[in-house]
Amino acid sequence: MSAQRYDAIIVGGGHNGLVAAAYLARAGRKTLVLERRPVIGGAAVTEEVFPGFKFSVFSYVVSLLRPEIIRDLDLPRHGLQILPLESTVTPLDNGDYLASWSDPDETRRELCRHSQHDADASSVFGRLMHHMAMAVKPIIGMVPPDPASLSPRDLAGLLKLGGHFRSLGPERFHALHKLMTMSSADYLDEWFEFDPLKATKSASGIIGTFLGPRSPGSAYVLLHHYMGEIDGAFRAWGFQKGGTGAISNAIANAALAHGAEIRTGAGVERVLVRDGRTTGVALSSGEEIAAGIVVSGLDPRLTFTRLVETKELPSDLLEGVRRYKFRGSSGKVNLALSGLPNFTCMPGEGPHLRGAISISPSIDYLELAYDDAKYGEFSRHPYMDIVIPSMIDPGMAPPGKHVMSIFVQYAPYSLNGGWTPQRREAFGDAVVKTLARYAPNIESLILHRQVITPDDIERITGLSEGNIFQGELALQQLFFLRPVPEWAKYRTPIHGYWQCGAGTHPGGGIMGASGRLAALEILKAAA
Amino acid sequence: MNQTARYDDIVIGGGANGLVAATTLARAGRRVLLLEREEALGGQGRLIEFAPGFRAAPLGLDPGWLPPVIAAAVGIQTLERVPSFDAGVGVALDGSGFLSVPRDPRQAAKTIAPHSAADAAKWPEFVARLRTLAGFLESLYTTPAPDISASSLNELLPLLGLGRRFRALGRRDMIEFLRTLPLSVWDLLDDWFESAPLKAAVAPGGIQDHQQGPRSGGTAFVLLHYLVGAPAGSVRGRTPWRGGAEAFTIAAEQAARAAGVTIRTGAAVARIPVKADAIQGVVLENAEEIASSTVLSTANPVNTLLGWIDPVWLDPEFIRELRNVRHRGCAAIVLYALERLPDLPGLKSADALAGVISLTPTVAALEKAADAAKYGTVSERPHVEITVPTLLAPNLATGSSHVMVAKAQYAPHRLRDGAAWDGTRRDALAKSVTAAIEAVSPCFTSRILHQVTLTPLDLEERFGLREGAASQGELGLDQILFMRPIAGWGNHRTPIDGLFLGGAGSHPGPGILGGAGWLAAKRMLGDRRGADRRW
Repeated sequence: MSAQRYDAIIVGGGHNGLVAAAYLARAGRKTLVLERRPVIGGAAVTEEVFPGFKFSVFSYVVSLLRPEIIRDLDLPRHGLQILPLESTVTPLDNGDYLASWSDPDETRRELCRHSQHDADASSVFGRLMHHMAMAVKPIIGMVPPDPASLSPRDLAGLLKLGGHFRSLGPERFHALHKLMTMSSADYLDEWFEFDPLKATKSASGIIGTFLGPRSPGSAYVLLHHYMGEIDGAFRAWGFQKGGTGAISNAIANAALAHGAEIRTGAGVERVLVRDGRTTGVALSSGEEIAAGIVVSGLDPRLTFTRLVETKELPSDLLEGVRRYKFRGSSGKVNLALSGLPNFTCMPGEGPHLRGAISISPSIDYLELAYDDAKYGEFSRHPYMDIVIPSMIDPGMAPPGKHVMSIFVQYAPYSLNGGWTPQRREAFGDAVVKTLARYAPNIESLILHRQVITPDDIERITGLSEGNIFQGELALQQLFFLRPVPEWAKYRTPIHGYWQCGAGTHPGGGIMGASGRLAALEILKAAA
Repeated sequence: MNQTARYDDIVIGGGANGLVAATTLARAGRRVLLLEREEALGGQGRLIEFAPGFRAAPLGLDPGWLPPVIAAAVGIQTLERVPSFDAGVGVALDGSGFLSVPRDPRQAAKTIAPHSAADAAKWPEFVARLRTLAGFLESLYTTPAPDISASSLNELLPLLGLGRRFRALGRRDMIEFLRTLPLSVWDLLDDWFESAPLKAAVAPGGIQDHQQGPRSGGTAFVLLHYLVGAPAGSVRGRTPWRGGAEAFTIAAEQAARAAGVTIRTGAAVARIPVKADAIQGVVLENAEEIASSTVLSTANPVNTLLGWIDPVWLDPEFIRELRNVRHRGCAAIVLYALERLPDLPGLKSADALAGVISLTPTVAALEKAADAAKYGTVSERPHVEITVPTLLAPNLATGSSHVMVAKAQYAPHRLRDGAAWDGTRRDALAKSVTAAIEAVSPCFTSRILHQVTLTPLDLEERFGLREGAASQGELGLDQILFMRPIAGWGNHRTPIDGLFLGGAGSHPGPGILGGAGWLAAKRMLGDRRGADRRW
């Protein structure tokens, strides 16, 4: 064992692990972060995939990074700089488009063009979503109480929760209940009539899950679009200057400033356990590092079945981990472009290229895309969320050239016959071909193409089954059920061994809340 | 009209809920008139003669759960279930033959074992778990729907009682309950089993009258919902009544008459007049006016409020929410009069036909059948389940002939692009159902004497089911308990003074005989006394 001894070791240098490290170091704990890959950030990394072309390889936009983390860690000082993503444009099959702009009046005028009714409904809907986001905000910031426990702390938590729901008043409580249980298509049907609008809104409800927009449980993710805004920290969605890797770097810099150490190229082979208590970690190199606290930022499957021996764990927990659903359903296509795409619905260069382009012309389109995946194929005509970061952050590509990031759903992890290099390229072809329906010049612009399947996501980042949220964000896997009942409070049955990844409450997205809550729990337990 | 009122209360609908509600009110000393649109009582449990000498209760295949507390409260004592009934579920295998899963868990384990020894070993625990979870729903379903946002403390009290019962489940089952509700029946079965036929046998229970496939969230709840009151070991349905499908209606009618309820059949309501936010009575389709100060409707809540009440009395937001209630009937029924019992080669015992046999061999095929409905079309290969009620009730047919009821899903009420259910579509559907049966039962077609197809539109027209949905409102997690029929109105009241809702469209929903009617009647009596104390 090396002579060095740490108070806490964080396994995995993803953004949650880094947030946990920063908080622990800030509280004076001697903290070490171990990252297997040569770069830190996990799924929030920027890499120069092709010479001169930098990509946010996996996760590509931010909205949910908790404002308290930004404040506590003083992230702007360490390099956090969010550039607003100002619009969303949905090209329609009839050559028209649907747009929403940063200026609400302009958005309203645009919506009126399609439906006066929806334009009117939209402002009421926006207000309700704002209130709903306010209603869930305290829940996101709370350690989930265990409804089956009788401990004073849990009972107090449950009472607090009950009081919180009551304080919403019946109308908002019922609206929240509907959001949590309905399908996004049904929910939006109650508000809007213009199908492309419903499709574009509901697309955010299916991201990272293996659900179609008509499946119950997809509605509440609609809220995510409204969460960033209420914090007032920045606009709903945005880019980090320099790519999402720069967010990881900013958090890492904060951790380093507080005295944490970070080692890359240091894969943890297993967590050392003696007499039900962790004593440190062993690296794949054979090196052992001692620590009284080990925090896993990896997903629940890796945390419980790979890093430790299953004999250390109760069978209920292992059964829960077995049942926990990953089912990666999305992929990425990153393109290096020689110029800008020309969209038929909005020819030439325009403000739409500085925002998101959503390929979601109708609910049926999304649902059909899901049907392909249900039966083990990637979508022939997938949902796509497209951004061109080099338009806002020119440093991402050589002068005059561009990078395009395409988030694609659905691409099932369990593809019939498995993923092969040929299938990966076929998937990439389907994406480009679909895009070419709306931007015919795209094929001629492609200099390089990187296609990432769920299988690649798993292989490169370690995320099981390529699920970008470390496990589906479905109702049965949220709050006190995330990742498994009884172990939703960042603890594990092994003394000193903790979890801090997105597989814990409140879950995925570049939010950092899991890492922060875990660190606060660890500090509280030690106090 | 009030001066001439001969009745205190009018109950609309002579199904289980109406009969129970009327009896509950009459037993509390009220003068009650029950109005039924059809000539016969029974509602969805009603028998119809679909061909000369052949009868069936197309919507009453599952006899439903009569909560003991309701049976006692309205004085129904003589009803009995068929003794030692063990027909459970069966499923046609991919290839040939059947898997029959009887209700006795040990017998079931034996029939499952050839498909998977591991699954056979887990089966008894699985059905015991379902029983426990459905058992908690039983408590929930015989109590007014708890609403955490309720303003009065009295309304919160039952919440505490339920909380106690919930905790009595014990840690494991409490969590299991919460975890299971939003789950898809596909995931639930994947959690437990590996055998495809076994999963295919159980899964259809999660999509009953539901326009979603087995992969859709909330279908595990649907499975549990229809298992309230089911005997231990059952994964589908309750035990039939000893006296046949009509037994309950007969007993409930007797109880109602004994309590002094006046019953009028063939009396269709045209509207419910309102004055100064209060009910005046009802007006029948023949223009007859009947005065009363309270009306309890067991008809569909949306039909009741939007069809019978002048909209000037309702808040626009309330109307909007009512219009948003999802019904989405998606099942059609084909009734066959058969010359004799069909042969199903590979089915070990014809007794299994007294239970439900699914002809959909895999859960994936079930999901595929559901896909069509999402796009407003009828499944090319619908999910078909068959049952032969004459095995238990030979009096439904004559001599050695039999009746088979086939239920086909998915046949959405609302078709794409405004297409309508017409004779051509009905015949095409009947043809695909018959073909599905013929595929497992050679010579089936040659034994058909008569057949009648009821599309969702037919069900709407003949049984008054809005959008052809027997559920009176889809069993989504957003349309149950305090959200049924709409948010905040799970207490059986309406914004109109004196109008109460007590049909399946209200808490606790379909399949619970008299469940909503009884709770609504009790709510009405409580309100009448001007006190909430009993709750």
